[in-house]
Amino acid sequence: MRETGLAGDAAAGFRLLKERLLRLFDRGVAEPLDDDAFDELAREVFAYQFEHDPVYRSFCANRGRTPATVDHWTGVPAVPTTAFKHLRPGPDDLDAERVFLTSGTSRGARRGEHAVPDLELYRASALPPFRAALLPDRARLPVVALVPSPGDVPDSSLSAMVGFVVDEMGAGEWFVDPDAGIRVEELLARLERAEEAGEPVLLVGTAFAFVHWMDALDERDRRFRLPEGSRIMETGGFKGRSRTLEKDELYRGLEERLGVPAARIVNEYGMTELLSQFYEPVLTRPEAMPAPTERWHVGPPWVRTRVLDPRTLEPVDPGHEGILAHFDLANLGSVAAVLTEDRGVEVEDGFRVLGRTRGSEPRGCSMAMDELLEVARG
Amino acid sequence: MADARHFDAWCVPAWTDRAGPEGAETGIAEVRPRRATGSEAASPVLRYPELDEGSARELAHRLVAHRDRLADLPASELAHLLGRVGRRFLEPGDPLRDRALQLLPSTAGISPAMARAVLDGMAADWTPERLEGLLRADLGRPEALDAFVPGAAGGRVRAFGPRLGVHLSAGTVPGVSVTSLIRGLLVKSPVLLKPGRGDVVLPVLFLRALAREAPEVAAAAAVVYWPGGATDAEDELLRQADLVVVYGSDATVESVRSRLRPTTRLVAYRHRVSLALVGREALGPEMERAGDGDARPPAPRALARAVALFDQRGCVSPHAVYVEEGGDATPRDFAEALARSLEALDRELPSGVVDPEEASRLQQLRGTTELRVAAGEGRELWHGGQSPWTVVYDPDPAFEASCLNRMVRVKPVGHAEELPDLLEPVARHLQTVAAEGLGERAEAVCGMLARIGVSRITPIEAAPWPPPWWHHDGAGALSALIRWADVEPGVMD
Repeated sequence: MRETGLAGDAAAGFRLLKERLLRLFDRGVAEPLDDDAFDELAREVFAYQFEHDPVYRSFCANRGRTPATVDHWTGVPAVPTTAFKHLRPGPDDLDAERVFLTSGTSRGARRGEHAVPDLELYRASALPPFRAALLPDRARLPVVALVPSPGDVPDSSLSAMVGFVVDEMGAGEWFVDPDAGIRVEELLARLERAEEAGEPVLLVGTAFAFVHWMDALDERDRRFRLPEGSRIMETGGFKGRSRTLEKDELYRGLEERLGVPAARIVNEYGMTELLSQFYEPVLTRPEAMPAPTERWHVGPPWVRTRVLDPRTLEPVDPGHEGILAHFDLANLGSVAAVLTEDRGVEVEDGFRVLGRTRGSEPRGCSMAMDELLEVARG
Repeated sequence: MADARHFDAWCVPAWTDRAGPEGAETGIAEVRPRRATGSEAASPVLRYPELDEGSARELAHRLVAHRDRLADLPASELAHLLGRVGRRFLEPGDPLRDRALQLLPSTAGISPAMARAVLDGMAADWTPERLEGLLRADLGRPEALDAFVPGAAGGRVRAFGPRLGVHLSAGTVPGVSVTSLIRGLLVKSPVLLKPGRGDVVLPVLFLRALAREAPEVAAAAAVVYWPGGATDAEDELLRQADLVVVYGSDATVESVRSRLRPTTRLVAYRHRVSLALVGREALGPEMERAGDGDARPPAPRALARAVALFDQRGCVSPHAVYVEEGGDATPRDFAEALARSLEALDRELPSGVVDPEEASRLQQLRGTTELRVAAGEGRELWHGGQSPWTVVYDPDPAFEASCLNRMVRVKPVGHAEELPDLLEPVARHLQTVAAEGLGERAEAVCGMLARIGVSRITPIEAAPWPPPWWHHDGAGALSALIRWADVEPGVMD
């Protein structure tokens, strides 16, 4: 297993694999990576993480899985997302360039930590799928960000990603203050300018922020017709925040208020624990894309997603619901195999996210864990 | 009912000659059991009438109209009548018991062995003797429900049940709704019971049987399932009620409370958590003994049973066990013994249906614990693979709720006296502490636990089965339902 010469110090091994991954990411998302090629890389990443993360090594070994016994990437033990709340998976000797935190969905809840040794890998994995999903026409659009800037919230992986996009576009402005929320007057002025100049924009934000932005527009009785070519990337629609809208309601609202049709609104599915993201191929395959609630997500070639039966962790039969488990090569610096709490179903060349299992429904006369944790930590 | 693919999740004797509310065109809706077993064919579809505001009001009026017939029966006679029906669920060969055992697994998502255990335990409290005992223990003089009786300090007093009680029960533990229905009828209150989706079978069977035994009494009760929530029909029933009993999450209680008239009384059995405490006197060789015959079973085995019953979904089900250090066996030894007992119980009392959300949470918990074990945090993990039972030995003393389905944390505690402080953050949600091995410290520890909010302390073996006359979440089960009328000296005598 060691012919790549990964034995050695963690940093040197990381650099070697990183270079190979950068070349892969640089090819973009259009060029497929066949299963054998993925498997080879995936097992090398596993071997690297097994070797340099003693906790993960012991975890895998206790399950009888080592680089010597795992003959396919699907056999690599996945780390549950919850574990990021208690441990920072990843090679021991790598320093973190940045530690991203998961958003706390309930007050006082423990937040997950994803230590990322190298932001370059993040940038390289984030941009090609973004470009493919949002800019298939190779447009260069100024970014209007409804997320706080990475300078304001360095621990947000989403802000970091939007930061990469802004760098890439060469123009972008940030309209969310981490404490005070949306800077409404500035955002109004920005969109007016776009409207007057006939200059299309790329709006990027969380579903939560867009809901608040629509409320602000309604209070002022304002409507925009953003220039043709404008588009929206929307994310985080599954988080259990207050005042959530159904997806089609949100898209209808944005269409009415901003003049950006639902066919030009793209949902991004991502999580702090993964450096790669998934997008709905709305702009690339408009003819194939159904109504907003029926859409699905696709990932880049360097991620493989499986739908597992939560009782057995075995793959479900095609077309059946299960929980999503991802193998993301971009997670070289932490852990590549991640078991989520998200329910989904495999479709076409991707998967449809059906929701998150966290935030459980009431449990009768015994208490739902989330509710109690909230009480306990509140 | 001949159709095994359906179960009619209602029984309204007051709807005399038809299956639905008189004069209204009530549709019949269908829903799958929440914990449906396997294939579509295995679980019957639950049918329920789609009440609207008008038919709900009509139903409420109809129940209230039968109140006088309840009032005419002495309470002790009511206890005997209800007990005669309830007892049938215990009698081997009785068609009522057979039918219940046939339907419970597929509608409540529990194993057949669990269905027997739950029915035996619940129905033990539905016998004439137990109900008579409940009346006396809770009210002192049950005759006060029948007539004015001399008050303790002179004058006369009389107890009245509400003109109409609306009971909304949870579906987590089958049988809880029958207990609620019986309590309401015992205080001579017409009752409209909406059982939770997992608990529709027993109240429907009970009321059907009561209707055959005593139609005039049964006509004051109705069991109707509908998916809970702020519908017009539910709102109307809450408006018609004088007293509402609700079992459920804090969010459910909040929702119901916000829809009541200011004059309506609310008895809320909201979310509770229970736990166990094993003192050092119960640790050691005694943990290993067989516990056959008359002897109390060893603590790990008793605790395994308390955790497994109701698949841990009862408010009495322990989420965690605190084990004292300094005994002959360590808390870690206890955890291992508990795991062995849970493993054995998995054969005797198999788990029911674990829904995908619960299974996912369990995978997250197990995987995360494995990593924390690997990280040398002093934890240990035992689990049943595809069986959900899971024991985590967790040196962190902070209380954490279980994700249920037989997942229990074992936590060391230096001295039992430290427990109340550890529970302080969840004090408002505490219910049962199953305690053993406290020796002479028992009185002091019980005092401290009760002071912070624990309402029931019991031997571990008895934890799943509070007696009918317990102070349920701190108040008498019947006295919570009644109002007193006083006639002061000089009027009647």
